[in-house]
Amino acid sequence: MTKEQILQAFQNKFPQKIEEIPFVRVDVAFKVDKDLILDVCRFAKGTPELDFNLLACLSCVDYIDHMELVYNLFSFTHKHKIAIKTSLPRGGEIDSVTLVWNAAGWHEREIAELFGMTFRNHPDPRPILLPEDWNEGYPMRKDWEGKDFVRLPKK
Amino acid sequence: MSDYLKNSFQQPSDTTEEIGTEEFIVNMGPQHPSTHGVCRLLLKMDGEVIVDVVPYVGYLHRSMEKIAENRTYLQYMPLTDRIDYVSAMFCNHVFCLAVEKLAQIPVPERAEYIRVIMDELNRIASHLIWLGTFALDLGAITPFLYCFREREKILDLFEMVCGQRMTFNYMRFGGVSRDLPPEFIPKAKEFVEYFKPRVDEYEAILTNNPLFLGRTKRVGILDQKTAIDYSVTGPNLRATGFKWDLRKEEPYSIYDRFEFDIPTGTNSDVWDRYIVRIQEMRQANRILEQALNSIPEGEIKTKTPTVFRPPKGEVYARIESTRGEMGFYIVSDGSTMPYRIKLRTASFSNLAVLPEMCRGWKIADIVAIFASLDVIMPDVDR
Repeated sequence: MTKEQILQAFQNKFPQKIEEIPFVRVDVAFKVDKDLILDVCRFAKGTPELDFNLLACLSCVDYIDHMELVYNLFSFTHKHKIAIKTSLPRGGEIDSVTLVWNAAGWHEREIAELFGMTFRNHPDPRPILLPEDWNEGYPMRKDWEGKDFVRLPKK
Repeated sequence: MSDYLKNSFQQPSDTTEEIGTEEFIVNMGPQHPSTHGVCRLLLKMDGEVIVDVVPYVGYLHRSMEKIAENRTYLQYMPLTDRIDYVSAMFCNHVFCLAVEKLAQIPVPERAEYIRVIMDELNRIASHLIWLGTFALDLGAITPFLYCFREREKILDLFEMVCGQRMTFNYMRFGGVSRDLPPEFIPKAKEFVEYFKPRVDEYEAILTNNPLFLGRTKRVGILDQKTAIDYSVTGPNLRATGFKWDLRKEEPYSIYDRFEFDIPTGTNSDVWDRYIVRIQEMRQANRILEQALNSIPEGEIKTKTPTVFRPPKGEVYARIESTRGEMGFYIVSDGSTMPYRIKLRTASFSNLAVLPEMCRGWKIADIVAIFASLDVIMPDVDR
């Protein structure tokens, strides 16, 4: 499938909901509404022409007024790679995609703990990286203040 | 005679149900010789059989991603070495690749060759560490001594090039930090010839050794579907028979110029993961030989300012590291420091699949299964 066809496939399934964005080194990147993320991911994995069977990376970016989740998907069958983005308010809730790819489980646990958000229907929502008695907030947020953390001025 | 003693002299019953068994929990780690770092495994046991495994990670969490937001791009380079210190060249390489794609910095041909040579040397060094400790975990001490003997020679080569033996800080955006010394190429060629028969030596000790086969054959099977579902990549995925290598399928740097095979397994057990890595060492040596014979003269670095501003944008770059797909997701806001860096490390995903592989096996097999995954804990915790 070409770049346009991949985008078209998503646009046909979710009309008016797919908004293309620039992204270096992937075939297509687009933005969807946060309530649609589970449906879009299921569609991306379940459709044989797309068959995105590898969740390569799941990251979160804090933009102070909102947060963005980035799903980097890859298809071993067709060798396509796409990035799906969705934005949600700080500390918001979003559906877990662990049911689609088990690989999302640990990534979501990490994001929930470091950025302070909730993944609905996550099978194992325990914290993962920080100490058990951690109570100093969500360290990966941009406005986080820690005891020994000194922020350098931006140039 | 008390009731208790009377009962204990009774005939043993045929079924264990009457006695009653119950599951119990065994704590393995965080400080345990076979967890290769600091990893804690909570084992739910039924007798000697494992019912479930819960890995606890994060003991080596250094918040690499947060530190990145407070450093310029070049200042972050030495830190990437610490992500996976056993194969630090790959961390350097993927970070360079991501920033070069973002800022569109060209890389001279000689630098690409040097990068490939360093990557493949590092791949062999990392697999040697793995092989040595893996055999040690299974009770064979000799391979460990052999492996570290050869690894020492590779570390000497690295030291010759960049002055460091493990955390190199060698690559730069648009090239590498310094040129190869004149004595490097002959020394490296010597190593390639020296290393060829050494792999047979390891194989002679392990591959068909009945004790080794007993511990590894048909143990810890990971089927292909589960592996892909958990984003397992690298030798662990190839051991399931899935022919996938980013060097071949999505050639970065100049890997499309070299001839090499992708070794795969058939049964996806511990032994297959062992033989895939053994074969990979031979293939890495093959690439090395070709690269050393065809390396051109020329520039080693495109001139880039020490502090520079990549344009606004996002990039996800990935390479085939020793352990699998290693990716850098960088968000740039046009300033001198990255706005956000996410490290996608292979060990993180590879460790998540451990519970699926361990259920139903004996406690001694966990050591073999865990070692066969080749997980590096700082790579998991970042």
